[in-house]
Amino acid sequence: MSNVLRPYLAAVRSTLTAALTLENFASQVVERHNKPEVEAGGSKEVLLNPLTISRNENERVLIEPSVNSIRLSIKIKQADEIERILCHQFTRFMMQRAESFIVLRRKPVQGYDISFLITNTHTETMLKHKIVDFIIQFMEEVDREISEMKLSLNARARIVAESYLTAFNT
Amino acid sequence: MAPEIYNLAQTPITSHAFSPDRNQLAVSLNTNDVQIYSRQGNEWAVAETLSEHDKLVTSIDWAPHSNRIVTASQDRNAYVWQEMPDPETGKLVWKPTLVLLRINRAATHVRWSPKEDKFAVASGARAIAICSFDSENNWWVSKLLKKPIRSTVLSIDWHPNNVLLAAGSADMKARVFSAYIKEVDERPAATVWGSKLPFNTICGEYASPAGGWVHTVGFSPSGDVLAFASHDSSISVVYPGGPVHNIRISSLPFLTLTWTSEDSIVAAGHDCQPVVFSGSEAGWQGIGSLDDTTAPKATDGVRSGYGGNTSVGRLKTGAFATFRDADSRGQSTISGSSSPSADTKLLTVHQNTITSVKPYEIQGDQVIRVSTTGVDGNLVIWDVATVTAGGASAMTARLGSTHLR
Amino acid sequence: MDGAFRKIDIDAFDEDVLHESELYDADPRDPAEVLDEAKQRQVAVRTSLAKSDIGGALSIVLENAPYGPNVDQAKEVTLQTLLTILNTTKSTEIPAVIKALSQDNQDTLMKYLYKGMAMPGWGDISGSVLLGWHEKLTEVAGTGCIVRTMTDRRIV
Repeated sequence: MSNVLRPYLAAVRSTLTAALTLENFASQVVERHNKPEVEAGGSKEVLLNPLTISRNENERVLIEPSVNSIRLSIKIKQADEIERILCHQFTRFMMQRAESFIVLRRKPVQGYDISFLITNTHTETMLKHKIVDFIIQFMEEVDREISEMKLSLNARARIVAESYLTAFNT
Repeated sequence: MAPEIYNLAQTPITSHAFSPDRNQLAVSLNTNDVQIYSRQGNEWAVAETLSEHDKLVTSIDWAPHSNRIVTASQDRNAYVWQEMPDPETGKLVWKPTLVLLRINRAATHVRWSPKEDKFAVASGARAIAICSFDSENNWWVSKLLKKPIRSTVLSIDWHPNNVLLAAGSADMKARVFSAYIKEVDERPAATVWGSKLPFNTICGEYASPAGGWVHTVGFSPSGDVLAFASHDSSISVVYPGGPVHNIRISSLPFLTLTWTSEDSIVAAGHDCQPVVFSGSEAGWQGIGSLDDTTAPKATDGVRSGYGGNTSVGRLKTGAFATFRDADSRGQSTISGSSSPSADTKLLTVHQNTITSVKPYEIQGDQVIRVSTTGVDGNLVIWDVATVTAGGASAMTARLGSTHLR
Repeated sequence: MDGAFRKIDIDAFDEDVLHESELYDADPRDPAEVLDEAKQRQVAVRTSLAKSDIGGALSIVLENAPYGPNVDQAKEVTLQTLLTILNTTKSTEIPAVIKALSQDNQDTLMKYLYKGMAMPGWGDISGSVLLGWHEKLTEVAGTGCIVRTMTDRRIV
């Protein structure tokens, strides 16, 4: 793993661990309801300060904690037009299948590429440190995945171009 | 003595309460029901299920002298359960009595008063209901403590004099109220908290140091000192008219605490281990953890999760590695001896947040054992005397400044 | 038909509801006074840095840091001062400097690190410097310090 990535992921890991201190909290606004407060935003006092962790302008993570849920949004590195397209397609593919990913949000928070919503139910049914691992692993993977896709896209373009141009070679 | 560990369920335990003789246990397993377990040798078996609530049961308290159980739930109700013979079979069963709480949001916490003639219910309606029995109508009636609470009340605790009540709430304050009810209480003697105590007198208001919700409050055995723990990872000990000691901890916030004697407190929470604090009016400090995380109880793997110095990428570990090996090399370690527990288990006894700690065994005026339950579905009974300073390695950076890593 | 009334958040008019301003005690100092103080500190920090007394410089800037509304300019100055200190510190010195700070100052430093990372334009600092400090500070002060950054409404 590259040296620059490590402190970035370490910062996300420690912040996420600190944020995942959730409890079951019934809504103060609507009786007999239980809503993720970070989404409902009805009571100011149960929301905490959002924190940003960034590596540079193009790669950052926003963590918005509250009493019973946190929202984590990732801005993925997009260096050029191809990466932008690949990233868009990749996150769209995942978000359309958000149910299978359990903690994934269907729409990203504005300014970010993909968002997760983790509630107290998730930290109760799953191991807390494993959720943290999952997010970290996702962040590692997504960069790699996109650069791999970009490589294979380029390779493919080269093969296509070569086989097309060989027709004119003779 | 090693802690006794019982796994009651795979689901979170939201609250627990022992019967006076400690042979029965009432728990709520993150459901609408209350389970009564009875001890059978070294096991706990379900004896009865109390189902009357229709939302999550948030808190249970078992009165030690009158053998009554009170339960509170997010359905805005509380019930008092009493054991009485069934008219047909003659067997002892638990019968519910509804309490007229007059709150319109979830009930979050419930506690019997020391004399057991009253109980208090904390709620999300920015109020605390003080309930007493109305024998004329054969039901429990309530009186509401409202001012100046601005948010959900998360926890309450009674003063030994049966009148004063401490409450911690999500508006970042811990308060001491008078819950004096004319029909029930005799005039209380003056205490350090005040002498004239009509209903809803505020005897003290203390803010958490860095704006965290006050998760838990507790009066010391004498009632002269108040401790509270808040979400800003701190624990505060208040001497009315004297100093307020505040200890910031370097690990995750505490959710629950109990006094074990006049000079020591056991607190536990998101860090999954009970931590002992001790001190006096001159000052308080963390002593260590009841959980010996250095003992080789699970595996010799690194402690996952907390602390920034564990390996960041876990790609080549755990389940992932198992399947990748099976896929690429045809190796199957699934049935092998090297289980992936090195990665999935924490080194603490509790595998997830501890949500409640209560005194279990009392000798004289000292609590010598405490019981804890948590989100991992475990019930653990700890010996208060066996404190390991090393177990709280996360704390050392803050507490023992001379200790260098 | 005009549907604008539907956009009114009626829950905000509930008399029990807590407002942002009630969540913490406001800074009693006058904004202009705070700004003056921040500027004075900037000078003091420069002299400390000239003597390469990094711990001292950090204590000066973190002690009584401005918070709350109406003091944005003072916050800006303080952040700039702090970033100069962070930039000039050698990475090998960081742990010792952090250990020497008081708990209050460690918490404030954590707040500034997050503020620095959340800044849109970045100014004259690279992300790896802040991340390096963040890692070292977490090692010393633990996750509790991060939790306090989240809970404390006295935003720097």
